Parts: sequence; C-alpha cells; structure tokens
Amino acid sequence: MVELSNQSGQKTADIEKLTAAKDIAGLIKTLHSDDMHTQSEAAKALGSLGPAAMDVLIQDLTKKDKEHHLVIIKALSEIRDPTPVPVLIGMLKDQNSEVRWGVAIALGEIGDSRATEPLIASLRDYDKYVRYGAAVSLQMLGWKPPTDEEKAFFLVGLQDWQAVGALGDSAIPALTTILHDRHSMVRIKAVETLGGIGSTRAIPVLMQSLADEDSDVRWAAVLASEKSGIHPMHLPRGLSLRPKKKKNPLIAGFLNFILPGLGYAYLAKWWGVMIYEIDIFATVWLLQYWGTFSYEALLPIYILLAAHAYYITVKMPETAP
Amino acid sequence: MDIEAMKNAQDIQGLIRHLDHGKPDVQWRAADALGSLGEIACEPLLRPLVYHRVNVRIGAIEALGAIGSPRSVEPLIKTLMTDQSHEVRWVAAVALGEIGDKRAIPPLLASLKDDNRYVRYGSARALGEMGWTPETDEERAYYSLAVQDWEAVKKLGASATSPLIDMLKVQHPAMRARIVEILGSIGGAVAERTCERILRDPDENVRWSGVLSSRNCGVPPSRLPLELAQRSRTRPSVFGATLLNFFFLGLGYDYLGKWWGLVILEIYLLLFLISQLLVGLFRTVIMMIPFMAVFAVQTYFMAKKEAALAG
Repeated sequence: MVELSNQSGQKTADIEKLTAAKDIAGLIKTLHSDDMHTQSEAAKALGSLGPAAMDVLIQDLTKKDKEHHLVIIKALSEIRDPTPVPVLIGMLKDQNSEVRWGVAIALGEIGDSRATEPLIASLRDYDKYVRYGAAVSLQMLGWKPPTDEEKAFFLVGLQDWQAVGALGDSAIPALTTILHDRHSMVRIKAVETLGGIGSTRAIPVLMQSLADEDSDVRWAAVLASEKSGIHPMHLPRGLSLRPKKKKNPLIAGFLNFILPGLGYAYLAKWWGVMIYEIDIFATVWLLQYWGTFSYEALLPIYILLAAHAYYITVKMPETAP
Repeated sequence: MDIEAMKNAQDIQGLIRHLDHGKPDVQWRAADALGSLGEIACEPLLRPLVYHRVNVRIGAIEALGAIGSPRSVEPLIKTLMTDQSHEVRWVAAVALGEIGDKRAIPPLLASLKDDNRYVRYGSARALGEMGWTPETDEERAYYSLAVQDWEAVKKLGASATSPLIDMLKVQHPAMRARIVEILGSIGGAVAERTCERILRDPDENVRWSGVLSSRNCGVPPSRLPLELAQRSRTRPSVFGATLLNFFFLGLGYDYLGKWWGLVILEIYLLLFLISQLLVGLFRTVIMMIPFMAVFAVQTYFMAKKEAALAG
C-alpha cells in the first residue's frame, strides 16, 4: 500500500511538472494511466491549460482509436468545458456503442443545453447502455418530457418499467422500439409491460413477439397477449412462426452420399467424423488390393448411409417451443 | 385469386390451399374466411387434420373452432391427444374450448398433464371457457400448475403433492426447479423422498433448488453430498476416450471436447497413409502400436483428471 501511494505521489509530481512545461501531449499520455486518481489529476491539469489543450483533445477525437476516444471523452466530462459539445454531439452517432454511451454521459456532465435534442434522439438508440446514459444525462440537464410519449421513451431509457406501464397507451411506441433489443431480458420486460397496459393497440407487436427467437420472450408474449385481448385462437399460429433451427434432411443425405459420415457430423453426431475416416481407409485399401472396383463395391453402402441420414433428420423431434 | 372472392364463391378447397400460403397474414385471412362459411366447410376441413403441413392443420382447426360444429369434436379430440406438433395440440385445445362440447372435458383434463407448457396452458384456459370448475384438489392442482398460478398451488398444501411430483417429468428445467421449491415448502414424507430424488436431476438449477428445499423436506444435510454425487452424468466416458484415441488418434480428444482433436486426427491419418505407402501396411501397424499405446495411456489419465475436476 505504501509503495502504491508513493507511486501515485510520484505521478502527481510528474503531472505538476508536465503542467508547468505546458506539455499537452505528455498529459494526454498520462490520461491512459491505470490509476483512477492519476487520470483525474491529468484531466484537471489539461483543463487548467485552457483553449490550447482543448484544441488538441478535440483533434484527438478524430483519430481512429476506440480506447483513446473513451479516455479523452472521460477527461472531457471531467473538465466540463463546453467547447467540445458540437463534436461530442456528432459522436452520438459513432459506430461503437461504448463511445456513444461515454459521449451521452459526458454531455450530461458538461451540462450544455445544446445537447438536449441530440440526447432525446439517443433515447431511441438500439443499445440499452446508450439509452440509459442519455436518459440520466437528460435528467441532469433538467429536461422535462413535453408529452407522455416522450416521457415513455425517457422512462424506458431509465428502465423504470412500472412508471412506463403507468403511462398506458402512450408508452406503446417506446416499448415497441425495444422489442428488437439484443438482450432477451429487455425484450421480456417490454412484453410484460405491454401486457400490464392491456391495450388492443399492442396486439400487432405482441403477435410478433410470439415468434421471438427466445423461448422465455415467447412465453411472456403468450401471457401478455391474453391481457391485451387477443383471441386465444390466434396465438398458436403466432408461435408457429418462430425461427426453427431444423436440419435439412437433403443436406444430411447428400453429404453422407458424397462424403460418408459427414452427414452425421452435420447432425452433430460426434462419431460422424469417425465413420468418414473409416470410409477413407476402406476406400484406399480396397483401391490398393482390388483396383478400380472399390467404388462399385462401396456404392450400396453409401446409398444406405445417405438414406439413413435423410431418415433420421426427418424423424428428429422438433425442439419444444 | 383474392381471399374475399374465394369466400364469396364458397371455394373451400382453394381457401384450404391458401392456409399454407407464404405470407402469414394470408393464412390468417383464409382461416377466418373458412370459419365464416359455417357448417358446409366443416366436413372438408376435417380431412386436412391428418397428414397435412402444420400451417394447414392450425388454420383448419382455427376455422373449425369458429364454425363450432359438434361433428368436429371427436376429430379435434383425437388431434389434441395425438398430434406431434405442440402448436397444433394447443390450437386444438383452444378450439375445443370455443366449441364448448362437454365431451371434450376428459381429454382436456388429460392435456393438463401434457409435456408442453403451451398445451397445458391452452387446455386450462379452454376448460375455464367451458365453465368447468375443479371437483377435486388434485384437479385444482393440475389446473393451477397449467396456468402457472404458483400461489394457488402452495395454498393447496399436501393435496398438491402427488400432482407436483407427477409434473416433475416436464422438460422445462425452470418449471421443475419451481416445483421442487413448492414441494419443499409443503414438506411431508413423500416430498422428502422426492427432494432426495431431485438431487440427481440433470439440470444444475433444479439440483440447487433441491438442496435449498431439502431442509424443509426433512432431508438431513449430511445425506446431501452423497445423493448429489449419485446423479446421472452426461460426462464423456474415460474408457471411451482412451479406446478412441488408441484406434483413431485425435478422435478421443475430439470426444472430450478439445477443438484440436480433429487436427491431430488428420495429421495422424496423413502420416499413417504415407508410412503405409513407404513401408507397407503390416510394418506401419506394428510401428504404430507402441506409439498409440502411449497416447492411450495419456488420454486415460487426462480424461480421469477432467472427470474429477468436473465433480
């Protein structure tokens, strides 16, 4: 521990030296330190150097290095100078979701009202971290949603499902946008909240969720559908549209005919490769001892193997919905 | 041809063909149209209940449910009891509830014990639709389990024990874990035996749920580790891996789940074939045997160690 504090004391001294020498590049390098305290000290020092440092930091945001971006964004959120706000707003459309998340947080920390409109747009981001960051930042900017629909997007960003549900029909557009979220937990929450609202307007989107790729989302959609007044007779067809990962019997049969054994490997049987190797050996040996007759001798076996692979694929039970 | 036009022309066969249309909403409208045709469509709709594709079966049953003819009750019961598709059994249960014929009650009660949660749920809802109420606590327990009303099951107490144990057969692990939890809260001698048995469940979460419930069940904690150790394992066999690597070097590793197993197999086979071309099959085999034996021994110890780690 003593050594560690000595080290960080050493680093603080370095930062003071770099600041005195107005060594902006050196300070930016120090931002990459593993130590949180050193990072913050370096950011503060850069802030104290005024517009000259700010220009370099903004320049660095145009370099293509994700890690570096995140470091600079963090420093900017600690410096809280409004100069980089337009650049940061542009970065709310960055390809990397961690960068977008960082920028959303930084814009809230800086507290410039120019960021309000772009952050409202980020409430519709497909990444839940970005939505959450944007909602928290809007809160910090003192933004009040003008309509219930906007409020729903805001609360969905905050993941306050109960408050979303209390908004009733106005929450349906916001909940619909997150029904395609990558994380099934978010989709389940959205479906459950839609069920709690119990509105007929939610029927089309709930029907889509009945065919979700995740089985727990599908089940939540069944329970929610009932509350929304979908006729139960329509539910099974919705469920039957789910993506089915069935193996193709023609592929299994064809593979087993051309490369005997690999049809079984395609069906995820570990011994498929073994049969394939046995076949190669048998073919080579037969070729050696019998000459060219071998393939004709093996052909009936190949046909049998092909038919067997085809048959067991057709007979494979469907995975439970 | 347009669905509306076919409906007006009473083209029942045409509409049935559209039940398997590429677009789901066309299937839907075709099923609705068939349902609105009434009694005349009933007989032709009973035929596709067997042999046809899932979409067609679902659509036909939807229409039969809307028509509500007593003639369709027996065929629908047969579908509910025997169809392979979960969705088809589910829609058959809903349709039977819609039609409301009392003959459907015993089969729907049997379907409360179906392995699939959608079928159980649909059957329970159908029974509710028909105004059925449970006569015994056992029926009430199966019904509450089907609609996943866990509180109601808990309230039934000891009389829910045997339905709960019966439903441990379902494939859905989350449901089995939930059942074990409730059995633990109910307690009693039968629950104790089940708690013990559940410690051998193939699913990790279910076993854990069993451990947590075992105190309430009355299983002494000192017995838990032994019971848990007796679970059936789907772990690869040590002997199998050894044997595979002796005959097909590399395949044993593949069987143990090592991605590089197949790489070794390919290298080995290549060497085998080259050596066979150079010195002949017999000498190759003689040369390979000690070499393979070394690998087999190594595989044996490796598989044993991994088995011990997997616990």
